[in-house]
Amino acid sequence: MGEIIAIASGTWKNILRMKVVYFLIVCVWILVGIASMYEILTIGYHKPLMMDVSLVLNAIAASLTVLSVTFEIPRELRQGVAATLLTKSLGRTQYLAGKAVGICVAGAVICTLIAAGSFVIYSQTFAVTIAGTMLKAQLMLIISIIPMSAMAVFFATIFPEVVAPVLTILAIWFSYSTGILSHIPVLYGGILPNLDFFNFRSHAVYLHPIPGFYMILATLWGIAYALFLLMFTSFFFKAKDIK
Amino acid sequence: MEEFIIQTEELTKDYSSWLRKTPRPALDRLTISIPKNCIFGFLGPNGAGKTTTIKILMGLIRPTGGKAMVLGKPYDDVESKNRIGFLPDSPAFTPTLSATEFLDVCARLLKIPGERRKKRIEEVLEIVRMTQHAKAKIGTFSRGMLQRIGIAQAILNDPELLILDEPLLGLDPYGRQEFKEIILGQKRDFHASVFFSSHILSDVEEICDCISILNKGRLLCSGPLQTLLSGGGKGVTVDVRSEDALRELVVFAKQTNRIADGEWELLFEQKDPAVEAKINELVGRFGDRVQIRSANEELESFFFKKIEQDNAAKMN
Repeated sequence: MGEIIAIASGTWKNILRMKVVYFLIVCVWILVGIASMYEILTIGYHKPLMMDVSLVLNAIAASLTVLSVTFEIPRELRQGVAATLLTKSLGRTQYLAGKAVGICVAGAVICTLIAAGSFVIYSQTFAVTIAGTMLKAQLMLIISIIPMSAMAVFFATIFPEVVAPVLTILAIWFSYSTGILSHIPVLYGGILPNLDFFNFRSHAVYLHPIPGFYMILATLWGIAYALFLLMFTSFFFKAKDIK
Repeated sequence: MEEFIIQTEELTKDYSSWLRKTPRPALDRLTISIPKNCIFGFLGPNGAGKTTTIKILMGLIRPTGGKAMVLGKPYDDVESKNRIGFLPDSPAFTPTLSATEFLDVCARLLKIPGERRKKRIEEVLEIVRMTQHAKAKIGTFSRGMLQRIGIAQAILNDPELLILDEPLLGLDPYGRQEFKEIILGQKRDFHASVFFSSHILSDVEEICDCISILNKGRLLCSGPLQTLLSGGGKGVTVDVRSEDALRELVVFAKQTNRIADGEWELLFEQKDPAVEAKINELVGRFGDRVQIRSANEELESFFFKKIEQDNAAKMN
């Protein structure tokens, strides 16, 4: 476990030190705040709009954070950083797990900052308290980073850094569309994760309660899917020559 | 029984695939045994298979044939990596981390306990003279500084075995000197064995006990440096310009060559103390008419000779 944490700490420090991350967070806060100006256009629905925008933008921020690993792993493999690390007492599966954990932590920090900022803007703009459903919806969005990270690690390990981010973003997009894709078994045969399990935008916007049991089940599913995908990736990675 | 830190048997790596055929294997049935507590130089021109061998030994690439044992364990044993220090040919580390942070990651992977970790990182930074850059981001480092951090991470765990791929590359003459001192220090103080590849033959000659020469994936020769350079034991050559001295020495000589009128070259086994005593006595008696000359070739000429012989043999 110590090895996984060591790799993870290097990964999250690497991401959280990028200035662009904080620029992204500030941009999201500004866009969330701007939603309050759409009172006329939305015929008075600017309040739910702001909550919707904050969740959508947070999901995009989570995807972009996860995407960073699709650049990092191929670069580390190409430049020899991975070779240096893998010649220590570190298994290849542990390296991948460390990367996935690192990206989850970095993603959780970024999304928590965005959610916290959005809540402050929302409550200050409309002088209301934050409902539990809104908190739960943001929490589930943060948990969705777990299967997303595993997907990013999978593509980053198998494909070069030119292809991996494109495939990852496509896979995430498809994963949010599994409700529609499930009717087309050729496109969706249960291989892609169903990120719709973590999508509670309508609940947060219209203040419908989110059952705790469902949240636990979705979380467990996310963890199980991530573990499965990491094991599958590890199977390929173990056979790979690291030049 | 002699212990070996590295043993390979018929080790082969062929990068050919069904998509791309290579003309020959990168490594062709390499069999070497490297004794403990030895500084081993692994030599060969570019493309000889040195880095491939090192990467196999470090478990980074898989051989297509043969066996490799490192510290008595299979090459891909993860736990034995705690006892090995490795420096890659072009060291690259996480650019956004500082030197201390990167070494901390390495120390954690090497399972160095928390209380010892910080102290050891300070020690190795001092050894490689990077203390003043400890907090600087690795991304800002020059090639030589990266090499120093590479050496620091390789010796972090006081390894039993140091595997270094082109460690002298990118170092200035001072850096090279310091590096040689570090290697010799590791052997002297920690009884570490060192296996390293290099193109700088003068440095190899200076610090190595044993060498191997590879060419186009094949092993040309391997053994103690002095034995190889002295042509397998024909150690000392004596130039004689006195017939009396010649008569006394010729009975011990393995080979006698007449160089010119009244001048001979006698070749002797190196390790015979009786002959050595006789030669020294004659040097005392005949002065500059009996001159001891080392028969050892320089490593550079030996290296070129071996490579050219092999290339010529392949052409024929």
